[in-house]
Amino acid sequence: MPNHTIVQIEHVTKTYLQGKVEVHAVKDLTLEIPNGDFSALCGPSGSGKTTVLNMIGGLDIPTQGKVVLEGHDLSTLSRAALSTLRRDRIGFVFQAYNLIPVMTAYENAEFVLKLQGVNNREIQDRVMKILKEVGLEALAHRRPDEMSGGQQQRVAITRAIATHPAIVLADEPTANVDSQTAESLLDLMQELNEEEGVTFLFSTHDPRVMDRARRLIRLHDGQLEKDEVRD
Amino acid sequence: MNITKIALRNICRNWHRTLVTTLAMGFAGLIMILFASLMQGMLQASERNAVTMDLGDMQVHAKGFRDDPDLYNRIKQPEALVEKIEQAGFHAAPRLYSFGLAASGSASSGVQMRGLDILAEQEVTQIHRHLMAGAWLDNIDPNGVVIGKRLAKTLGIQVGGELIFVGQSADGSIANELYHVRGILKSVGDNTDRAGLFMVESAFRDLFVLPEGSHEIAVMRTDRSKNLEKAKEKIVAMAEGYEVLDWRQLRPVVARILDLADTQLIIMIVITYIAVAMLVLNAMLMGVFERIREFGIMKAIGVKPFQLIIMIYVETLIQTMLASLIALAFGVGGATHLQQNGIDLSDMMSGASFGGVAIDPIWRAQLTVESVLTPILFLFIMSMISVLYPAIKAAMIQPMNAIHFQ
Repeated sequence: MPNHTIVQIEHVTKTYLQGKVEVHAVKDLTLEIPNGDFSALCGPSGSGKTTVLNMIGGLDIPTQGKVVLEGHDLSTLSRAALSTLRRDRIGFVFQAYNLIPVMTAYENAEFVLKLQGVNNREIQDRVMKILKEVGLEALAHRRPDEMSGGQQQRVAITRAIATHPAIVLADEPTANVDSQTAESLLDLMQELNEEEGVTFLFSTHDPRVMDRARRLIRLHDGQLEKDEVRD
Repeated sequence: MNITKIALRNICRNWHRTLVTTLAMGFAGLIMILFASLMQGMLQASERNAVTMDLGDMQVHAKGFRDDPDLYNRIKQPEALVEKIEQAGFHAAPRLYSFGLAASGSASSGVQMRGLDILAEQEVTQIHRHLMAGAWLDNIDPNGVVIGKRLAKTLGIQVGGELIFVGQSADGSIANELYHVRGILKSVGDNTDRAGLFMVESAFRDLFVLPEGSHEIAVMRTDRSKNLEKAKEKIVAMAEGYEVLDWRQLRPVVARILDLADTQLIIMIVITYIAVAMLVLNAMLMGVFERIREFGIMKAIGVKPFQLIIMIYVETLIQTMLASLIALAFGVGGATHLQQNGIDLSDMMSGASFGGVAIDPIWRAQLTVESVLTPILFLFIMSMISVLYPAIKAAMIQPMNAIHFQ
């Protein structure tokens, strides 16, 4: 595997049972995500974008084929090893923010670092630096229900990148925010990608995200329709 | 942010439910502390009435005396045996027994006379302090007797009143004497209450023409925490040729009830706490279902299943600790009040007994380490068992399904 490849998807098929009917969410998909990429999985609803993202994140396992993240075949890892991998190497940004409601913005980001065993001084430096970058330094001690959708998504991004993950998987990150907030979130993620080298993989059908992505991976009915790298 | 802090915030999140659950747990703990203390009180009072008011730890009799309490079947030279027993580190008191008829005015009743060496007796039992009215026996007043409360009622006699005793002396003559009542005992046990008539040893010997021997030697350990069986073995070795029985053999029903008391307490606690466990299980299950999505996120970002189990256990532990504080504060307070004041059951239980031992009409609690810690310990155990299922359920949540859970 070349050093610059973070994710390898090799002939992955994912089949679900909906009642007695088999649904092929992903069919024989092969992909590579290189380090520092800013890519978007796009396509209509049901095209398999989220399923691919879930499989890369170790939240779901392929029916056939394999997903390799930094050299680890995810299907061979135990639940505990997958938890560790998700904790240390993957950042998640969800459509519905999915912050932990009893924790403040700072604590949401701090929580994962505590799980990693990072020392308190380092945690404070790292979290406050990112919160400053995402413009939430003043809101560090607010809880999610005291923040707007855009602010919550910024906290989610802070949480996702605070651990220095190999890749950030962002599932429809702009779906629940207004246009202005969406643009500012994308600015932020693009900046983190360009300046910090954080790899982002989006699942989206938002044209604003697609416009910004340097690579568009179009899926249709679970199959790769087009893999387009843009300048 | 540590798990305790998260757990604390989680339990404050739905504070109505937390309050109801914690109060219910605390209330159950409080009830159990009161129940355990009252049980302890009743049992200790029963043991006290049986042992320290009447039997002593052990008794020595001539063989066959217990089956046929014959005036002539006596322990020979009891003074020597008493001295031997006392030298071995025990208290011992010789007693004399006989039967006859007591009358006062137009009322009469069969009585069991007891002749006591009052100095030795007060080292063995506390009966001299168990008076309802009047005073205990005194060697300078040989015609003053102390009687059981029901006998006093039967004879219609009070302190200072006179009674006539009629019986048979050891020489075959009629034993007949006029006595005055010095004191009336509180309830001790069926026999003593109904027929007990106590007098000093010298008066007994004069009345029954019985210059020597004793019918019984009551023995008490100087340190009651020492092993009864071993103590008995020592007395058996000293009282060769006589029958030695400990109080458990003398009052087997009482001994069995006391033995079963701990089991009864645990059964009661388990029954009560099963209801509490259901409540905890229900509350924690609701808490888990409410937070499925959150647990999914936690697992997605790398929280391990056992960490979720620990978090849920810490939540329950905090609630149980709060409940225990409530139970301790009110339970110990209530039990202390009941220890000092008791519950007056005179109207319902006056003269009641079990196994021949009187039940005190004032039911007092006895606050012991055991009566407090057993209910609290079981509260923790039951809570921890009942939360196992919700905790495992949370730990087994599939993050992908949970995140999309509506």
